[in-house]
Amino acid sequence: MNTILNEKKEFPMLEAVNLTKKYEDGLLALDDVNFKVHQGEIYAMLGGNGAGKTTTINIFLNLIEPTSGETKINGIVTHQQPLEAKKHVSFVSENVMLYPEFTALQNLDFFTRLGGKTNLTKDDYRQVLLRVGLQEDAHSKKLKGFSKGMRQKCGIAIAILKNSPTILLDEPTSGLDPKAGLEFMTLLDELRDEGKSILMSTHDIFRAKEIANTIGIMNNGKLVMQRSKAELENADLEKLYVEYMAGYMEEVA
Amino acid sequence: MFRLLVEKELKNIIQSPKFLATFLTCSFLILLSIGIGINEYFNMMEQYNTAKNLAKTEMAQARSWMALSAKAFREPDPMQIFSAGVNYDIGRYSIVHERQDSKLQNSVYSDDPIFAVFRYMDFTFIVTVVFSLFAILFTYNTVNGERENGTMRLVFSNAIPRSTFISAKFVGSWLGLVIPLLVPILVGLLLLVVFKVPLSAAHWIKIIMLISTSVLYLTFFIAFGILISAVTKYSSVSFMILLVSWITLVFIIPRIGVMTASQFISVPTVAELESQKDSFSKARWEKHYGEIEKVWRARNAEMNGMSEADRQSYREENEYKWFEEDDKVRNEVQKEITEYSSKLSDDVRNRKATLENLALNISRISPASSFQLAAMNLSTSDINLKNRYEKEIQNFRQTFSTFTQKKQKESGGQAGMFRISIDSQSGVKISSGRDESSLNLREVPKFTQPSHTISQAVVPTIIDIGLMMFFTLFSFGGAFFSFNKYDLR
Ligand SMILES: Nc1ncnc2c1ncn2[C@@H]1O[C@H](COP(=O)(O)OP(=O)(O)OP(=O)(O)O)[C@@H](O)[C@H]1O
Ligand SMILES: [Mg+2]
Repeated sequence: MNTILNEKKEFPMLEAVNLTKKYEDGLLALDDVNFKVHQGEIYAMLGGNGAGKTTTINIFLNLIEPTSGETKINGIVTHQQPLEAKKHVSFVSENVMLYPEFTALQNLDFFTRLGGKTNLTKDDYRQVLLRVGLQEDAHSKKLKGFSKGMRQKCGIAIAILKNSPTILLDEPTSGLDPKAGLEFMTLLDELRDEGKSILMSTHDIFRAKEIANTIGIMNNGKLVMQRSKAELENADLEKLYVEYMAGYMEEVA
Repeated sequence: MFRLLVEKELKNIIQSPKFLATFLTCSFLILLSIGIGINEYFNMMEQYNTAKNLAKTEMAQARSWMALSAKAFREPDPMQIFSAGVNYDIGRYSIVHERQDSKLQNSVYSDDPIFAVFRYMDFTFIVTVVFSLFAILFTYNTVNGERENGTMRLVFSNAIPRSTFISAKFVGSWLGLVIPLLVPILVGLLLLVVFKVPLSAAHWIKIIMLISTSVLYLTFFIAFGILISAVTKYSSVSFMILLVSWITLVFIIPRIGVMTASQFISVPTVAELESQKDSFSKARWEKHYGEIEKVWRARNAEMNGMSEADRQSYREENEYKWFEEDDKVRNEVQKEITEYSSKLSDDVRNRKATLENLALNISRISPASSFQLAAMNLSTSDINLKNRYEKEIQNFRQTFSTFTQKKQKESGGQAGMFRISIDSQSGVKISSGRDESSLNLREVPKFTQPSHTISQAVVPTIIDIGLMMFFTLFSFGGAFFSFNKYDLR
């Protein structure tokens, strides 16, 4: 993985190309969405409920197939070579769910091995759990007693342990207390510095503006705005968001 | 990867709170059933020995060869510990007499009806009902539960082929359920050794086969549970489907099979059979009397024109010969009747068997039926047990009759005159010739238990084992196939 650090890749690590998804019931959840996330970048997807953010992530994970277009991870088209593509991605959902009868450490051990890392020790797990802010005394407790925020931290720990070049985060900070939310942002910053490419969906406009290299706003399955951090430097993102969401403006990304 | 998923599945089962409770209940029931089985076997063995000795004493009291009757006893088989089958339904002995049809009588249930209540507490019952329930309880949510929990998305965000996942589900569940259940079974086998149940090598082979068949049965329900859990989205739905299927497969279909079978069995009733036999016998005797009359008329005709004194001496001269001739004809008639009636019985028996088999084949759409049939066959408590005994007893009756007839001749107990009224039972008693103080019983043939080789026990189970394998593979294949299209979100 260290090679990623040394030589920056020319092609985007995460990419949506003309991504379109029409559900069986006829709903057009994604309509010709295009974006790129390069190495060492964070891309934040904003958008109201039902905008299509989770749908996008599900296609990246090959949990559903696109109607047309494609998603690529590390240049690999996910629905064509899902197993190959998934080697290069980790995922944290909006509501991390782990095995309730397993302890935090057991869950971490299982998912880390599943992700292909077999040489890690309990100490490594503990270290990462502390890094994401889960107290020591919770490490050996069964997950069934965990709060949503605690589960979220475990999920993030699993993503870190997998150490893949790309990370998909679906509203990762939902359920985290303000302190944990802040710590999480620092963590994302660190991960980006390590060279990871991060795609996250969020409802938190300010955090997004603070941390993301690029911000995209989705509305009804369309990517209605996409701007870089520099472009947004002096703009009022909240105002833009409301305007785009109301459908006043539309620009092709 | 596969191993990791299997380990997780195993851990998930063993760490779940319901596991310990279910496992302990199952273990208790298995051990209880084997314990009761052992106890019951020794009880029956004791009764068997006592009854045999009693019969010996009875025989020793017989005063003539003609009145001598034997009893053939059905020896308890230790395999009944595992599967009682028809063991308690059919009689335990039969009276063997020259002029009496042999029939097994005095079943355990007829002696002790309360016992019927406990009939199902054998090992086979525990496996049929409890193992299957156990399997369902642990597999009903094995696939859709992960979707509901949300763990499925996280699992499949990794490079896991669906086939690996579903295979690991199967293997993991199998190991997590089968291995714990083998523990009490092995302890149960230890009980057999500790209590010194007389088991031959053949018994052990059958026991091992029975346990393997039980494991196969459990495997079917594991595969079936996974299948249902992989074709449904919600675990509440799959639980309902499995519960209904379980009741249908375990309780309803086998019973429908047995009920249909018993419907068929009741077609030719015993009374019908008896009246058919009676009317044949009556007609035959009437014909015989007519013929005898003719013969006597002919004999009288020979004496036409003789003087009264000549007639008298002619009669005296020929009387013995005539009686001999009559006796011979009479014996032939009796033989004809016996043959007819046994042929009739055989016919009915065969017809019954065919229909029974048909009904059983219908019930085999449920692996629970297949399992029970296989267990009964392996435990030699199958539905043919009665026929095997009755056939063997029939053979013994032949040997026994030939022997007593020979003895009657030797002891000069001809007494043909008395034997005219032979077809009524009391007549037999009257005809008991001359008194003998005691009979030498040492040469009386002894009844031997019908032989039933391992292959005779195993071969009929092949179809049932085959069917269970088919249903298991079908379920697993179905689960595999439907999971390939399963919505993982
Ligand atoms: N399986 C499905 N079948 C039909 N429609 C679906 C399905 N899943 C999602 N949708 C619809 O697709 C649209 C996009 O849903 P999606 O979950 O991607 O939104 P989202 O941006 O993640 O919203 P939120 O912010 O609430 O998480 C919604 O209108 C939703 O109702
Ligand atoms: Mg969403």
